[in-house]
Amino acid sequence: MHKLSTKKAFIAYFAFGWLLLIVADRVDELRVYQGATIAVTTLAIASIILLTGYSGQVSLGQGAFLAVGAYAAALSQTYWQSPFWFTLLIAILVSAAFGFILAFAAGRMSGPYLAGTTLALAVGLPTLANQFSFLGGETGLVYDAGLPPERFGEEFTLYKWFFWIAAFVVLIAMFLLRNLLNSRFGRTWKALRANSTAASLCGVNVAQSKITAFTISAGVAGLAGALLGMVSIVAPSAFPLSLSFTIITGAILAGVTSLLGSMLGAVILVVIPEIADVIAHQLGDSEKITTNLPGFIVSVLLILTVLFSPNGPAEAMRKRKEQHAKH
Amino acid sequence: MISLRRKKSILAAVAVTSFALVASAVPANAEVGVSSTEIKLGTTVPMTGIAAPGYSKVAPAMKAYFEYINDNGGVYGRKINLVIKDDRYIPQEAINKTNELILKDKVFALVGQLGTANHLAVTSKVRIASRNIPSLFLNTGYSGFADVKKFKTSFMHFPTYVAEAKILSSYIKENFTGKKTCLLVQNDEFGADAEKGFATAGLTFDETVKYVSGTQSATTAQTWITRFAGAKCEVVVLFSVSSATAAALGVASAAGYKPQWILGSVGADSTTLKIALNNPQAQALLNGAIGVSFMPDALDTTDEYVKLFREVNTKYSPGVDFDTNVLVGMNAAMLTVQALRAAGQNPTRRSLIAAMESKGSTFASAAYGNLAVSRTSRAGFTGYWFGKFNLAGALIPLDAGRTVYTTDSATGPVTKASAKRAALPAKGIPTNS
Amino acid sequence: MRQLIGTLLIGLTLGSIYSLMALALVLVWRSTRVVNFAQAGQAIVTTYIAYEIVTRTGVFWLAVLFAVVAGALLGAGVEYFLMRTLFRHVDEGPVAALAPVIATLGLLGVIKSLVGMIWGNDFRSFYPPVSTDNFVLFGETIPFSRFNILVILSTTVVMIIFSFIFQRTDLGLSLRAAAFQPEIARLAGIRVGPIRTIGWVFAGVAGAIAGVLITPNDVLSPASLDVLLVFGFVAAVIGGLESLPGAVLGGVVLGIGVSFVLNYVGTTLIFPTVFVVLLLALIFKPNGLLGSKKVRSA
Repeated sequence: MHKLSTKKAFIAYFAFGWLLLIVADRVDELRVYQGATIAVTTLAIASIILLTGYSGQVSLGQGAFLAVGAYAAALSQTYWQSPFWFTLLIAILVSAAFGFILAFAAGRMSGPYLAGTTLALAVGLPTLANQFSFLGGETGLVYDAGLPPERFGEEFTLYKWFFWIAAFVVLIAMFLLRNLLNSRFGRTWKALRANSTAASLCGVNVAQSKITAFTISAGVAGLAGALLGMVSIVAPSAFPLSLSFTIITGAILAGVTSLLGSMLGAVILVVIPEIADVIAHQLGDSEKITTNLPGFIVSVLLILTVLFSPNGPAEAMRKRKEQHAKH
Repeated sequence: MISLRRKKSILAAVAVTSFALVASAVPANAEVGVSSTEIKLGTTVPMTGIAAPGYSKVAPAMKAYFEYINDNGGVYGRKINLVIKDDRYIPQEAINKTNELILKDKVFALVGQLGTANHLAVTSKVRIASRNIPSLFLNTGYSGFADVKKFKTSFMHFPTYVAEAKILSSYIKENFTGKKTCLLVQNDEFGADAEKGFATAGLTFDETVKYVSGTQSATTAQTWITRFAGAKCEVVVLFSVSSATAAALGVASAAGYKPQWILGSVGADSTTLKIALNNPQAQALLNGAIGVSFMPDALDTTDEYVKLFREVNTKYSPGVDFDTNVLVGMNAAMLTVQALRAAGQNPTRRSLIAAMESKGSTFASAAYGNLAVSRTSRAGFTGYWFGKFNLAGALIPLDAGRTVYTTDSATGPVTKASAKRAALPAKGIPTNS
Repeated sequence: MRQLIGTLLIGLTLGSIYSLMALALVLVWRSTRVVNFAQAGQAIVTTYIAYEIVTRTGVFWLAVLFAVVAGALLGAGVEYFLMRTLFRHVDEGPVAALAPVIATLGLLGVIKSLVGMIWGNDFRSFYPPVSTDNFVLFGETIPFSRFNILVILSTTVVMIIFSFIFQRTDLGLSLRAAAFQPEIARLAGIRVGPIRTIGWVFAGVAGAIAGVLITPNDVLSPASLDVLLVFGFVAAVIGGLESLPGAVLGGVVLGIGVSFVLNYVGTTLIFPTVFVVLLLALIFKPNGLLGSKKVRSA
């Protein structure tokens, strides 16, 4: 597969961003809001893809890093009155530092042990907010991106503002990640994932590479968390275990090795529940059925996807294309 | 009930997409969600997931009552259509679903949502206040929601936890002076609000146990009871959700520990408690426990409201056990019908909010005492009566006159309420205007 | 002293409850290398079946029997119809190993929705077969009852029976071989497919026992075993995932840790405690308390 040069990729990302802006002006408010959610989810999924797809480590508790990022951003806004862009930087730095410490402690863990540790972290961390009053307890902290600048006019809605911010930040982050993965780091991680013994024989410092991957993934997740805090709230209940599972699911749907696929995963995650809801109300006649049907449909689709393309539809499409090219 | 056809009516969509437009005057008879034949309302509640038991009954109960009203002429000829969305008790989901309700289903108003964190999320990120979207009869007692400045379009149904704690305190101080008194609370805003109320009333506890929502079970309850028994508590206030209340009572029964129990209203639905306390000995423990309620007891079939709601429940939700959750849902629905009527022949969001402010405190409902809503407050009910649970799990008033106590959510005193409950409108169909 | 004994007893009870779920997870892990999140769902189904039997007949042990049979069938069904297809792709792609885990999450969702459709989302409950009244020793009530003894005994028996099968029988050898080196096992004439199914059947049985023993003391709803799943998984990881005594040890360590924190530190720290106990255990033993390094890297 040929790779775009950095310059061409930049132009592609720029054009895509422009396209998003135009589309956001044409669709209704709900879609704009969903667009913002998709952007945030894309980044969260990308953090998993970085970790699992590239360095082969499994985290079942990515929600914890989102929480750390969101709280760091909100705290810096609440107590230092930091400008919004600065809170995003804080989110990245603090969650990356947190990831580094955890990776250090969990350095010797692998596979299910790391998965278990991160899962326990995702369960344990949010409840700490109730222990320290500066974290705002159950009602959480106020965190927002402010209102859109007045010069955008009255028609410029808050959701469009969210979408602009989220899309802008995520596009930049994805562009940087893409370059990172095409660099020496990315190649090292891939070697690690494929065969850590072989990689170490080739002079790769396995432990160090894993810690680096974990740290960067945590930083990306932290940024996603801050953006999620912007769209949603910064409170313990905003980071349930199901959030971590949703992100992993998105990564699987995306095909864990494709960074661009993360967008596809995010779209599926946001759109499917709505479709399931509509189907459920068309089919169901009793309350018992209609309330449980959406969850049922989403879960069945998830199983079917995993059954028929365990590496995600994006990966399957890529494979098919490659096979096609061979013939 | 979501019809795809509606998607095509883009005309209305244009009006909503910008809240600047909505905030400015909309022609009286072209309000979002109100057509010549229908008023569309929406709610997000936990229909599945960890909070679903009990709570999943509230919204269907509202719907059942609305269907009863629809079969009896609706509201000025319009039928009420309630769209129920499942938020699984997760704030992000509540935001998503509320957005769907507002932007896709284009509901006129939100009614009867549950959960403090969820509604905080909705008010801060969907910004229903600045978009002038009414949210009627919140089924949570978080005192913060009474603040009209922050929650201009939100209206409470439940009394605040602060008020309940203050009223409980005055009772405890009067009847159990000198006894070791202890408290079980949830480790979140539900508990924090209650603790605020107890502190305001000057009641201190010899032992306070906080539990984390979701971890309540017979085994973790062992540690609570060990603590209470260890501190030799003679009076224990269970200000907890019903599954935690049940766990505490069950474990205490097994340990032979029998303090005077005082149950907060949230976890005192005897129907739920009896299911959870399948153990006959533990059920017996409920006997003699003191409870408070702002509603009549769901088992009290002599109450005219309960009797009517039970009939509606039997007819419109066959197979559903009538309990406090159903009672709460129907009560919210009956209040909603009155609010809609008070908003005029052609209700707008503006006229609905105005009607709530000016006439809300006069609405008839099963609750003892009136809504404390006004231009300066978004508070719900404020009155509580004390009762004792009998063997059947019914809460029997301590005094024949069923004295109702009332207070505010600040530092005001606890007083006996004077206002009598409004009589049930004929056949339970409001005719106010 | 009294409080210390009480704390230990509560910890032991908590631990044996966590262990039951941990045992089920370890049984699946040992036979197929999958963390089965659907275990909580499978156990919920069997517990609802037990609920139906117990409320209809009033015979608890008959309900256990039905639950165990249903658990076995369900375990076999999941493995045969879902997992087997997945494992055909298991070597394709780098993270296909994660795919089965996601499938089990999906399955958990499917099962919970179906249970909600059939039984609704309200609480159900049934009464324990033996008394939950606390024992009184030397005039002091201790937080321990016949029912607690039943739970601890059941955990021990389940652990011993399955450990025996795994360590001392040909079936156990085949199970281990099929999990670690399916290709070699196949060459050695082991029918890997059916053998793996048996692993899931065992887990289904253990999970069914877990559900049926935990619920009488609590309430039953489609999501009522979710929290237990988390604790059980953590217990299994602490124990090393490979060994059944490890799962029980992990459960007991976690249970006693949680009990100590709840009794002496703060009742609100239950979830952070889970993380700390796990982290401490894994910092000292990265492959779990009773996990062996050799086995893991295979």
